[in-house]
Amino acid sequence: MNNSIEQWFASCAVVPGILGCGVRQPDGTCVSQRFHDSCSRERLDQALQNLGDSLSSYSAHGLAPRWLTWTFEQGQLRLVLRPDGRMLALAIQPNTPAAENLDLLTGEFLALNLAG
Amino acid sequence: MFSVGIGGNLREVRCGNLAAQPKGTVTTPAKQQHILFVDDETNFLDTIRALFTAWSKSSWQIECATSADQALEILKTRSFDLIVVDVNMPVLDGEQLLRILARRYPDLKKAVITGHATEQRRSACLANGAELFIEKPRSAEGLKSVFTMLDELVTWKQQAGFQGMLRRVGLQDVIQMECLGRNSSILEVADRNLTGRIYIEDGRIIHAVVGEMTGEAAFQKLLALPGGSFELQHFEAPNERTIEGQWEFLLMEAARVQDERTPEPPPATGPVVAPEPPPVAETPAGPTSISPRVAEMLICSGQGAPLYEWQCADVKTRVALMVEITQQARRVGQLLSLGRFDRLEIQLPAGRAVAQIKPDRMVFVQVATGTENS
Repeated sequence: MNNSIEQWFASCAVVPGILGCGVRQPDGTCVSQRFHDSCSRERLDQALQNLGDSLSSYSAHGLAPRWLTWTFEQGQLRLVLRPDGRMLALAIQPNTPAAENLDLLTGEFLALNLAG
Repeated sequence: MFSVGIGGNLREVRCGNLAAQPKGTVTTPAKQQHILFVDDETNFLDTIRALFTAWSKSSWQIECATSADQALEILKTRSFDLIVVDVNMPVLDGEQLLRILARRYPDLKKAVITGHATEQRRSACLANGAELFIEKPRSAEGLKSVFTMLDELVTWKQQAGFQGMLRRVGLQDVIQMECLGRNSSILEVADRNLTGRIYIEDGRIIHAVVGEMTGEAAFQKLLALPGGSFELQHFEAPNERTIEGQWEFLLMEAARVQDERTPEPPPATGPVVAPEPPPVAETPAGPTSISPRVAEMLICSGQGAPLYEWQCADVKTRVALMVEITQQARRVGQLLSLGRFDRLEIQLPAGRAVAQIKPDRMVFVQVATGTENS
């Protein structure tokens, strides 16, 4: 895994309310980090693959998402798409610092220098 | 204080300090106002020109056009403070002309004067950008009233703190503007019998209260008022927060409720077409500005039957998308134990889309932000 992503995952650990996060690489492999018992890495990977595979349906509907946010009763899931093909999934709890800083976290991920 | 009437015949901006000014007491030379009248009745135009020039003590510079085409030609060469348009004109009628004017000259004040006033026509003209809708008078006294109304309109200036707000505004317009601008404010809404408040914080509707009613029910009640007035006040945090929903959905629900109350026969085939969403107020950013607007909306039953649509190019495709979103969210929600799905927000390069899925309703809204010349 890219060091920058690892470091960024580590920085996420200090933000209260993040259940887990994962990045899907352009080659389809996933790396995930869980911060809460309710969110296993396997399930995060599965969700990432699932969502990543379905992205083409949005373009088929004339929509070109930069990021998407699913809001559920007990949490939110944000999927962020980088131009280089990497995709971030962030699962967070509602009404937490993570929820308040979701846009900030998104911006950080988009700004990560992942070259090399 | 700025007060705006909503509904009925009150949908025109009233500006108390101007209305209170006694006529004929101005000691400084009056500013020249350039006004263009468009009417195919030349006799009426001649009368207007003579009387209004005299009543304005020549502070009105009146130009006349006998057709919409001629008016558009004149507007290419000169600027005006106010245009007054007749509705019934051959070729291009007043409503069509208003639509063109709203697009080409958004800052130009517009009034309609017609001998065939109907409620439907009045609504259409206001929706197309007119600030005033006046019935053609049949007496000199009536003409004087028309002159007074037009004079107030042409001399009215936007109030401090409301820069960029359209002159013709409604409650929904202001809520949209506050939410899109991520502003914080309180809208105090009142009619003869009740007063309520809608709290907007950082562009989110967080609370509404009217009497003992709070939450979405209170919000819907206030938006369903057939008439009254509202004031925009500085934000103060409410004691409680009773609303969590997206403002787009709240407004659309209000539009749906209002539409259901309007006793109109449904069309023979196809989905019911929702009333045109109100234009979003513009920002005063100079010649170019970002102007967010509702680009598309669709409301379906929980089974995917279209109930309302606005500029939805392909309703079937959108319904299919919402079904896909529902299925996908169900899978992911179960995987991550996130509970019941509520909505998906999609950030787009030039705007965003929101799909809300409820057991009995599916809603899709797309808001576009584009750069356009004012």
